Amino acid sequence: MRTLPLAGLALLVPLATSVPLHAQESPGEKLPVVTHVLPNGMTFLLLRREGAPTVAFVTHFRAGGVDEWTGISGTAHLFEHMLFKGTRTIGTKNYDAEQALFPRIDAAADSVTAEFRKGALTDSAQLKRLRDRLKQLEDSARQYTVSNELWRILTENGAQNLNASTGNDLTNYFFSLPANRAKLWFVLESDRIRNPVLREFYSEREVVMEERRLSIETQPFGMLYEQFVATAFQAHPYGRPVVGVASEIQAVNRHAALEYYHRFYAPNNAVVAIVGDIAVDSMKAWASQYFADIPAGEPHRPVVTQEPPQRGERRIEVQFDASPIVMIGYHVPSAQHADAPALAVLSQILTGGRTSRLYQRLVIRDRVATAIGSFMAPGQLYPREFAFQGVPIAPHTTREIEQALYGELERIQREPPSPFELQRVRNQIDASSYQRLQSNLGLAFQLSSSEALWSDWRRTFHDQGTQARVTAADVQRVAKTYFERTNRTVATLVRPAAAADQKGGNE
Amino acid sequence: MRAHLALLGWLATVPASTPARAAAQQPTDSRRAIESLQFPPLRFSPPMPKRVKLSNGVPVYLLPDKTLPILQLFVVSKAGVAHVPDSLWGVGWHADEIIRSGGTTRLSPDSVDKLLDFYAIQFQLNTENEQSRAFVSGLSRYRDEMLELTFDLLRNPRNDTSRIRILAAQQEENWRRRNDQPFSVIARAWNQVMLGDHPLGRTLATPAEIAGFTPQRFRWVEERIFCPENLLIGVTGDFDERPLIAKLESLFRGWERCKAGLRELPPLHFAQGPPVVLVEKDFNQTSIRMGHAGGLKVANTPDYFASAVAEFLLGGGGGFSSRLLQRVRSDSGFAYSVFSFWEATPKREGQFAAGAQVRAEKTVAALKLMRQIVGSMATEPVTAKDVKLAQDNRVNSFVFQFENAGQIISQQLSYAVNGLPPNWFEVYLQGIQRVTPEQVTDVAQRYLHPERLVTVVVGKPSAFDKSLSEYGPVTALSVDSIKR
Repeated sequence: MRTLPLAGLALLVPLATSVPLHAQESPGEKLPVVTHVLPNGMTFLLLRREGAPTVAFVTHFRAGGVDEWTGISGTAHLFEHMLFKGTRTIGTKNYDAEQALFPRIDAAADSVTAEFRKGALTDSAQLKRLRDRLKQLEDSARQYTVSNELWRILTENGAQNLNASTGNDLTNYFFSLPANRAKLWFVLESDRIRNPVLREFYSEREVVMEERRLSIETQPFGMLYEQFVATAFQAHPYGRPVVGVASEIQAVNRHAALEYYHRFYAPNNAVVAIVGDIAVDSMKAWASQYFADIPAGEPHRPVVTQEPPQRGERRIEVQFDASPIVMIGYHVPSAQHADAPALAVLSQILTGGRTSRLYQRLVIRDRVATAIGSFMAPGQLYPREFAFQGVPIAPHTTREIEQALYGELERIQREPPSPFELQRVRNQIDASSYQRLQSNLGLAFQLSSSEALWSDWRRTFHDQGTQARVTAADVQRVAKTYFERTNRTVATLVRPAAAADQKGGNE
Repeated sequence: MRAHLALLGWLATVPASTPARAAAQQPTDSRRAIESLQFPPLRFSPPMPKRVKLSNGVPVYLLPDKTLPILQLFVVSKAGVAHVPDSLWGVGWHADEIIRSGGTTRLSPDSVDKLLDFYAIQFQLNTENEQSRAFVSGLSRYRDEMLELTFDLLRNPRNDTSRIRILAAQQEENWRRRNDQPFSVIARAWNQVMLGDHPLGRTLATPAEIAGFTPQRFRWVEERIFCPENLLIGVTGDFDERPLIAKLESLFRGWERCKAGLRELPPLHFAQGPPVVLVEKDFNQTSIRMGHAGGLKVANTPDYFASAVAEFLLGGGGGFSSRLLQRVRSDSGFAYSVFSFWEATPKREGQFAAGAQVRAEKTVAALKLMRQIVGSMATEPVTAKDVKLAQDNRVNSFVFQFENAGQIISQQLSYAVNGLPPNWFEVYLQGIQRVTPEQVTDVAQRYLHPERLVTVVVGKPSAFDKSLSEYGPVTALSVDSIKR
């Protein structure tokens, strides 16, 4: 029996020195990150840190919901799920036999889709027969499958935080390993990026439908947000849900997912951050050994579509059996625009903490809301929404939230933030500039997303320094520029009349 | 004393060789490549906090880490809301918010808000059922401000009536919104069915309780939960021991002893039935929870460790390697979310439960499948390979229990509050490694009873694949008769 020396040990002497804060330079910018770019364009950001022997790996691909084409919404996300299904050698007992069944399974899936698309003319008995047949065929392929083998290998090796997520701009994959097992990441990740096999595809499509129901269709905030962005963005793909439109999730096939993969999952569209107790030279060598021979692909091309200027306030209602909520948003430029730092400070002045202007007005003074918050969405790369979300306290209404909020937005255009307000925000930025350096995984996320978005890992750190230099006049100017009625979208969740009657019209 | 931990990975069965490949089209066999990996031993002696006692007997755990100019303060009270009389449960449950927002005898509520925001101090306080915890984090150059504010709030809360009125209005609104989301409905229905009126089954204050929010009632609870004998302190980050201890001594000076009036946790009685409870609600996805008494406490016993491995393999830490996720999600596509937990503490048994949110048209099929999987732990023995998976995972990931000083401190505080020894994690790992497949089957046979599962279903029965009565005899519970 091995013994684990976990108690009664001497204190570990702190080894790393603190990073001094130079005037308006964020401490993150000084991190000794080593950038290693392979000839095929794949970028590795390597950061050795003192501390426990763990390593965090975060990979971002420049591929997201905005890169989908018409009719396949949700494919970026479904493909992210498929990257956990294994490769030609992981997750299978006999890849050739398994693959030989795929064309028949795909044909059966397309028959289901064809029947489903008849809409009102769909023969439900026939649809059920076709679905049963698809399930039967896919189950027959399972005899060759070692389901979730990738997960099992990583579980066995003590991996932590194994997950992935898909956004509008980027898709990421991540986990941490004990430092002595770092090489495992290179073997597994290079294989699944190179040789993904989209097995168990159609049952996973059902799983994703349930994910959509769980996170959107049964959630008042989820439903309201989906309709809110769809209203604010009429041309730009930011208006589409990343999880996908229900009818498209149900129709997407393996071919489309593979096509998406071939277009966007080239090594030159990938950025990996490796942070923790690593030997940088070994990481470089393994990066070359495992990834260098993946051929480069087409570089990612940004979305051409630009959202046309809004010509007047847009207002919608979303019926849902729940108490009211309101979302109010204004179009603002992307996170790389010169106004972005002032907008970030503005959002802190308005909603960052209990002394913020909107909390003071709506929650403390007028007592019309239980909560008020703001967020920038649905992405960073393209022009987006500066949005507010308010939850009224009955009998107060969402209209009262709107009136009080507009009053405060007008006030900040008249009355710039006080020195106290600005210093409060600067102190908050200062504290968060250190707090965000605490975990290996969190740091790896920031490095790789910043590099994937802006081709500069320092960028998100640098932005904090820029925010600390924002003046009261800057804040006032951006408030005037963007908080205009014609630039506004308002979405309100309302209870359907029938449901409200049942409730006695009281709530 | 510094020992080395040697944890070997897969031993090589195939010679290690990974030649650079010329053609990307010729995939290497990753499984073989992995089998040939040899991992060097992991040498790591986690730093352990120093434990000192203040002059009033309060234990303080210290673990400095000057990597960043940040200070983190943990305050834990052994008392929780379940220890106050039932008539004050709602007051106790929201005492955390009124301590944060209601000012102090010295500072108005607005002044507290200003100071916390201006110094960028994160102040998180939670009065939970069995204990209460504060976590405070900020820049270490504001050490004194952080400590003084935290202690002022915990010792001298003002319970300002204007802020109590705001809190009451917010909580009344939360009450109105209690049935808006599936999770809130299933969780409250489940608690009512399983735990009845027991405080451990409560998460929401009722309008009658909210009407009883007064400064005096808040004060009654606050001075019994936050008082020296109940407290443990932890500090990590950028600090020097001597001035810190001196500061803590001064902050505790004159703080009166805990007042009488708290009770032991009332005895727990988990429901024996009714077998199936249906809460009808028009959601296009069905929420499911099934379970019964867990029967075990956290303890250094073979049964407890075997139950931890069983939980891992059934639907807990094993994730996709667990039976529930494999069969309900990956094989059947019925759900995105499916899980189980086998809850326990060192002081009391907890509940065993499995849950999922499933496609409405597969509700009955999913219920039957989940019940069958729970039963399979006793009838389809786990393999040696499965047990080794759980053991390897726990052993190989042990370092993640000690990734940073804050994690180490909160672990030690939690062990101390729960009466576990400081080396509990080591004991746990050794216990897990002794578990055999036979023991897992044995605890499943003795403690998991598919025929006794109580099941709660929230959804729209007209959308179900079959009548719910095909799963078991159904009792209806209307949404409005969920009392809390």
